[in-house]
Amino acid sequence: MTPPGGDPPAAAGAIAARSPLELFWRRLRADRVALGALIFIGLLVLVAVLAPLVVKLAGAPAPNVRSTDALDPTFGSATGPSADHLFGVDNLGRDVFSRVIYGARVSLEVAILATGSAVVAGVVVGMLAAYHGGWVDTVISRTLDVLLAFPILLLGIGLASACSLGDGCLGLIQPGLGVVVVVIAIATFPYIARIIRGQVLSLREKEFVEAARSLGASDRRIIFRQILPNLVAPIIVYTTLVLPQNILFEAALSFLGVGVQPPQASWGQMISDASAEFEDAWWFMFFPGAALVLTVLAFNLVGEGLEDALHPKARK
Amino acid sequence: MNDLRLRRARRPLPSRPLLLGCVATLALVLGACGGSSSDKKVAAGGFASGLPTDGQKRGGTLKLLGSEGFFHLDPGGSYFQLDYMVTYATQRPLYYFKPDDPKTAVPDLADGPPQVSADNKTVTVKIKSGIRYGTNKKTAITGKEVTAADVKYAFERGLNPSVANGYEGVYFPLVGADKAKGGPISGITTPDAHTIVFKLTKPFGATTARALVMPLTVPVPKSYVAPLDAKQPNPYDAQPERQAFTGPYMISDYKAGKTITLVRNPQWDPKTDFKPAYLDRIEWTIDADPNVAGRQIFSGTGLANADTPTAGAVKRFATRAKDRITFTPLGNRFVGVNTQRKPFSDINVRKAFAAALDRRAMLLARGGPLVGQLATHFLPPTIPGYDEAGGAKGTGADYLANPSGDPAVAAKYMKLAGFPSGKANGEKVVMLGENDSPAKETAQITRDAIASLGFDVSFRLLDQSTLYSKFCGVRTELEKIDVCGFAGWLPDFSDPYAMLTANFYGKSITAVNNSNASLFDDPAVNAAMDKAALIADAGDRAKAWGAIDRRLVDKVAAVPFLFDNVANIASKNVQGVVGQWIASWDLAYTSLK
Repeated sequence: MTPPGGDPPAAAGAIAARSPLELFWRRLRADRVALGALIFIGLLVLVAVLAPLVVKLAGAPAPNVRSTDALDPTFGSATGPSADHLFGVDNLGRDVFSRVIYGARVSLEVAILATGSAVVAGVVVGMLAAYHGGWVDTVISRTLDVLLAFPILLLGIGLASACSLGDGCLGLIQPGLGVVVVVIAIATFPYIARIIRGQVLSLREKEFVEAARSLGASDRRIIFRQILPNLVAPIIVYTTLVLPQNILFEAALSFLGVGVQPPQASWGQMISDASAEFEDAWWFMFFPGAALVLTVLAFNLVGEGLEDALHPKARK
Repeated sequence: MNDLRLRRARRPLPSRPLLLGCVATLALVLGACGGSSSDKKVAAGGFASGLPTDGQKRGGTLKLLGSEGFFHLDPGGSYFQLDYMVTYATQRPLYYFKPDDPKTAVPDLADGPPQVSADNKTVTVKIKSGIRYGTNKKTAITGKEVTAADVKYAFERGLNPSVANGYEGVYFPLVGADKAKGGPISGITTPDAHTIVFKLTKPFGATTARALVMPLTVPVPKSYVAPLDAKQPNPYDAQPERQAFTGPYMISDYKAGKTITLVRNPQWDPKTDFKPAYLDRIEWTIDADPNVAGRQIFSGTGLANADTPTAGAVKRFATRAKDRITFTPLGNRFVGVNTQRKPFSDINVRKAFAAALDRRAMLLARGGPLVGQLATHFLPPTIPGYDEAGGAKGTGADYLANPSGDPAVAAKYMKLAGFPSGKANGEKVVMLGENDSPAKETAQITRDAIASLGFDVSFRLLDQSTLYSKFCGVRTELEKIDVCGFAGWLPDFSDPYAMLTANFYGKSITAVNNSNASLFDDPAVNAAMDKAALIADAGDRAKAWGAIDRRLVDKVAAVPFLFDNVANIASKNVQGVVGQWIASWDLAYTSLK
């Protein structure tokens, strides 16, 4: 936690003061595993953004191009890695490498948008409940309790199914990627809201908040200038922990057929398509599965690294 | 997954000479056609023939693994392939197709062939003596002999809303049926206990006589069943173990969506029946995972598939256990587009779509040449009229000439449809498909074809039951959708009337349980069908229906893409016998080894 407002004490002698950011970076840099995972994520983002270029450079066809000649002519089944198709083709003759690369786009897009939405909603709701207290807190907390009582995957499946037809839900949530983002955001924001509420309940009783209040600071100033800066660390940590969960959540929804709809490539959907043929076409499941595992692992490692760097004492 | 069997399937009955079936399927299947009794076990290519053989073993339990449930087990409502497997093992219709002869119906409950009057408006059937009802619990009906009055009541209750038979009006234009609503039908009389006479409103005897194989003809004792028919839902359907059984087996236990068990019917007298009924017991699991089921059947014993095996299972058996997989040619598959709504109300857009569709990819997605052959029209090789409609070559339409699709021909028809660039301008097309393989894959290929024409395709995949019960089968919903699921048809019996009317006759468009996927209603085609249905001569009938098939292709009533070869798989100690007319196991002929 950063110290409350005001300037740090003046540096004494030759000892140079380090800002919290510098300290954080030094600690994170020392964590080789987290750093490696961070580099992996950076590369993944780059690959996702430059997917068309990467696929072109690899000489692979676009993700939705079907090559029936690449299929087994007798059974019409998927064929394995070859010079023409680095990761083989799926049961429609589509290049698995190309689809894995494009699948990264969907995974990251959904994870970032859904997590971002969930974090914003969770922080706002959590702060509102804790800071105001009273009936506001009661109503919000009980609503969160109700939301938390739903099995998260079932809630997601229900919402995704209900919003996937026609004009979506209430005309606001359009079928497609938007549904998945909204479903995941709705399913995960209560967790963040609960955590933020707990943090704010503690912070609002701190002396620096009391001091600001006694100096006549408005609620808005207290929230944005005193409390919110002290929530940055937990928000970062929880965000990095929620991100991989949401990548898995998207994959699960797509696996169950209520997530991203074909022909858009998604790792979960690719794994689902491959599950019936795993015995005969391992590549079809292996590559998207490996991409999913590595991505989630990388985010988890980065999350832990960030937590260590932000709260060095907490780990000890 | 098994989309074939869930397409409101009518009972199939291949009628084309089996030798032709062999040629048409590149001699991969049905090699036993015309073969001697000694090679009956093996078909060409080394695959199992699925035919009955000498010396099959009696006794034992067969376990069937499937992933789909039943629609109706009441013989009055039974109209689905899986329903038929149970109904024909537990009940006796007037006529039956032996598993190795899908062309000739033989008398089952009937005692001799049906007599059709010279004016083609009266059909008379004699029924056998000594056939008795078996029940699980002893009731007043247990052991009672079947009479013609029981068949009469079966037809009467077919029109009762609590039974709601789906085809009685189509095949049996009975005098007085329009006023019956579950009560007596004046057009059915029983001069004595073993004679039943059907009087028809039009000279339809040739078709009605063929339809006497349908499960509606299974006798139902009024004294026992009428009180049940007064209830909703009808217990005779919802609790099928309460039925009065006439077949070699009885349903002893049924848990909807889970299991069904068949045991021997103690009242069944083999002297009155030609069915061997080798098995003692049949245990059917309804909610098995299809991939797991395929592996279990491959490595286990006493197991067989209940519904269509997965592509992976077909490959595994076809490469590693050829003698345990059978392929049976049957039925068709096509993509129906909404012919009453833009853009597909324009015949040139439909032709462009047909030209753009990669039918070869569709075939491969379904499992390749083993599980079907490319279709260029709607009557399959097993049905009269196939040759008259163009045979394997097709009608010569340029939009179906290239199996891999032809963008140039597609562009030509798009220009004729008023799109000067040969492409649409992003007009929206709504498409719904199934989310199970292989229907999921064929849906994606179809979507790609529509998108290649320049349309913006709103594409959703749904589970099968939702898709058909909420959208494709409901007219008001279907009218708002451009492409809804996939269609295909298994004929009720070996006749082109049974193959084409359900899908393309204007009057087949119904509010619910609609089977006309394209909402195709062409007055000229309807009139031609009405006329062809009355033709009694087999040759003339085939010619007339072949011409109708050609006309359907000309009008692009739908885009045909496949004539099916249905696969069935069994464990190594199962002597599976396939009813060629239904393309699934005939449980009264299947045995253990």
